[in-house]
Amino acid sequence: MAAEKNYYTIDPQGKLQCVKCGVPLIKGKAKFMYLDNGFPVELPVCPQCGFVYVPEELALGKVLSVERALEDK
Amino acid sequence: MSQIQERGSTHVYKVNRISKEEMDSMVERCVYEQPPFCSAACPLKLDTRAMLKAAAEGDFKKALLLYEKIAPFPLILSQGCEAPCEKACRLCEVGDGVAVRAIEAAVARFGERSKLGGVFRTKKRKTTAIFGSGLFALFLAGELEKKAYPVTVFCEEPDLESFLHCETAFLDEEAFELEARRLQGKDIQFVFGCELSPDFFAEQRAAFDVVCASEAVAKRVYLDAVCIPELMFCEERQLVMGFGEGVMAAAFGAKKAALTVDRLAQKLDPRNTRGSEGAVESRLYTDLSEAETLSRVPLPAAGYTREQAAEEAKRCIQCHCEECLKSCAYLKHYKKHPGLLAKEIYNNTQIIMGDHQLNKPMNACSLCGQCTVVCPNGFDMARVCSGARRNMVSTDKMPLAPHEFALLDMLFSNEEAFLCRPQPGYERCKYVFFPGCQAAAIAPATVRAAYEDLCARLDGGVALMLGCCGAICDWAGRYEMYDKTKDFIDRELAKLGDPIVIAGCPTCKKELSEHESVQLTGIWDVLLELGLPEGAKKLERPVALHDSCGARGDEQVQGAVRTLCGELGCELVDTPYSGDRSPCCGYGGLTAYANREVAQEMTEKCLERSGEAYVSYCMACRDRFARQGRESHHVLELVYGTDAGAPPDISEKRYSRLTLKNDLLREIWQEETAEMKLDYELTYTDEARRMMDERMILTADVIAVLDGFRETGEAILDSDTGLLIARRRVGNATFWVAFTRGGDDGYVVHRAYSHRMQVVKREG
Repeated sequence: MAAEKNYYTIDPQGKLQCVKCGVPLIKGKAKFMYLDNGFPVELPVCPQCGFVYVPEELALGKVLSVERALEDK
Repeated sequence: MSQIQERGSTHVYKVNRISKEEMDSMVERCVYEQPPFCSAACPLKLDTRAMLKAAAEGDFKKALLLYEKIAPFPLILSQGCEAPCEKACRLCEVGDGVAVRAIEAAVARFGERSKLGGVFRTKKRKTTAIFGSGLFALFLAGELEKKAYPVTVFCEEPDLESFLHCETAFLDEEAFELEARRLQGKDIQFVFGCELSPDFFAEQRAAFDVVCASEAVAKRVYLDAVCIPELMFCEERQLVMGFGEGVMAAAFGAKKAALTVDRLAQKLDPRNTRGSEGAVESRLYTDLSEAETLSRVPLPAAGYTREQAAEEAKRCIQCHCEECLKSCAYLKHYKKHPGLLAKEIYNNTQIIMGDHQLNKPMNACSLCGQCTVVCPNGFDMARVCSGARRNMVSTDKMPLAPHEFALLDMLFSNEEAFLCRPQPGYERCKYVFFPGCQAAAIAPATVRAAYEDLCARLDGGVALMLGCCGAICDWAGRYEMYDKTKDFIDRELAKLGDPIVIAGCPTCKKELSEHESVQLTGIWDVLLELGLPEGAKKLERPVALHDSCGARGDEQVQGAVRTLCGELGCELVDTPYSGDRSPCCGYGGLTAYANREVAQEMTEKCLERSGEAYVSYCMACRDRFARQGRESHHVLELVYGTDAGAPPDISEKRYSRLTLKNDLLREIWQEETAEMKLDYELTYTDEARRMMDERMILTADVIAVLDGFRETGEAILDSDTGLLIARRRVGNATFWVAFTRGGDDGYVVHRAYSHRMQVVKREG
């Protein structure tokens, strides 16, 4: 079976902790959605409560450029 | 809190708000692509402007290349042409027209011939023959050779020199030599010494696909030959033939004839698809103020030298209409003339699938109307862009992101921060003061002073309406929202007894003038009638008055503000871009939201005009100039001796509006207001403040995130930075705040950012 496609991957490497659950965030499956489009990604996710973290560089970099491209479709 | 629905990705087919026909008629007004007058007058359509430019730069090789495009024998043409271009030259109106013909002669004489001849071109299969001699036959042979037709010339003359000599007696010896060499270099077959009798002709013509003849030969072989001059063609005899006398008639005739040959060779009707031929009228506008040298370089009997020709060519002012580009920062930014940009923007609205690459330029225009005033034909880019925006909204293709902040700000003005009250003691009022949303946001103390002054000095009661006139949604192309806002304002005015609106902002005045039955005046008019109040701050020094784009075309408003400034003692500095020609500060048309870079360039353009302090009568202008570090006053700040101080950030603008409303409600109308107080302490680092202003993140958004954190405890801790990071979805965006705890129960905000995409955990 072909590997599942991910548009972006970030591994928290144990540096991020979920304040509510008190556990480290792990690399987990997440999905960005905008204007009826979806993009599977791997982001730091809390294994217990499911909090998905979007770092600033990602939000203002890749995410912003994809948003703009989709807005002009 | 208000929300605006984000668009989906389904295709919505709706009627365009602005039709293609309407758009075409608008595009037609731009004369940028019109030919210069010299080229328009030339039947051969020489790109005179480009040729003169090359000659002026000393690039005679390029100049000759351009000239040879229309003249296979440039020396013959330049020495024999009647030069209609010279008569059409606009410089004739202020001095001597450019000596085009003498420059052409120098170009033909001194220009280095390009080595890229037609020698290696593949010849066409269809063969052509020309019977006879003279200029028409010579030029036609040159034209057909250029088009790569195998061409054979049958003539009575015994050799090439005699053939060339026919009808070219005006050439000097050197020119004759040069042209003879040029002719020899061309791939043309000659059959000399022919007896061009009808029998000979009949015998030979069958061997060729298309047959041409000089006028004399045509009439000799067919006594009844009748030429259709537009085609240079005798249809009955299927013969391409010469017609008319003179060098220009021969050159133009040969050009038309060559096209006819082309059509006949392809077995097409020679009447079809010929395009524009011959001289045309040009609608180009030329600013003659740029003409410097008005007299010709004296022409020696032997013609110009290379240097003299270049010197004379430099006199050409390179007729171009760039009136709008000179004054508009937006058009300058996109480096396109408005006719082309308008076409592209309209096409952008018609894309159903694919990228709308012109969304950004479409949303970057400030819709200020300056181009319409400076354009000699009244080109209206504002109509094009606002029509295109409405088209995009109507087909659900308009992205919300560029305008959402401004639209939400408008909803804030007309909901949370909205205030409409009659003057205490009155149920119905004679007047209502409408200062405009930006005045309340930027200079609340000025608004209050103005309102209190109007109440004190006007009879009949003065109501107050704090809100947005609807300009924001009008600019965004959100026509349904605009209609709602209009109805809302009308209803509120009706509650006050339909008073006379005293507008504090020229844009509001313009927008409100669209309402039927609304009586309008400006605060500047009222103040002129009442006289300046006590405490008016006189500025007895020169100031640059910046006219608001909202007052464009409204001489009365522009004049009244000038008088008011005069009464304040200001010495006004006017520039060529004052009054109706004034550029927009960058706020208009929502440029400041949709395209900060262009908005910045617009502000700089406004400030270029003068080094003095600026006085404006639109609060947005006042704010943008102050942000740029220039001393900037709104005329009402001078009138009421108030100083709005440093320009507020986006959150302070909201806070000011809300505070003004609550203060006035409490202090003038004795009404109780909800206390705007957080139950925890919140501070921001300077960097966070700067970041938030730049990223359009409000303190309200940050508070929403922290409130969420306090409710749910959801956040992450970054062990590298020690920052807590929480998030919350507010409307169509997710806001992230990085903070630390501070004090007993408080937070220090270090960073903030947002994105519009939604993010969810995925199973699996």
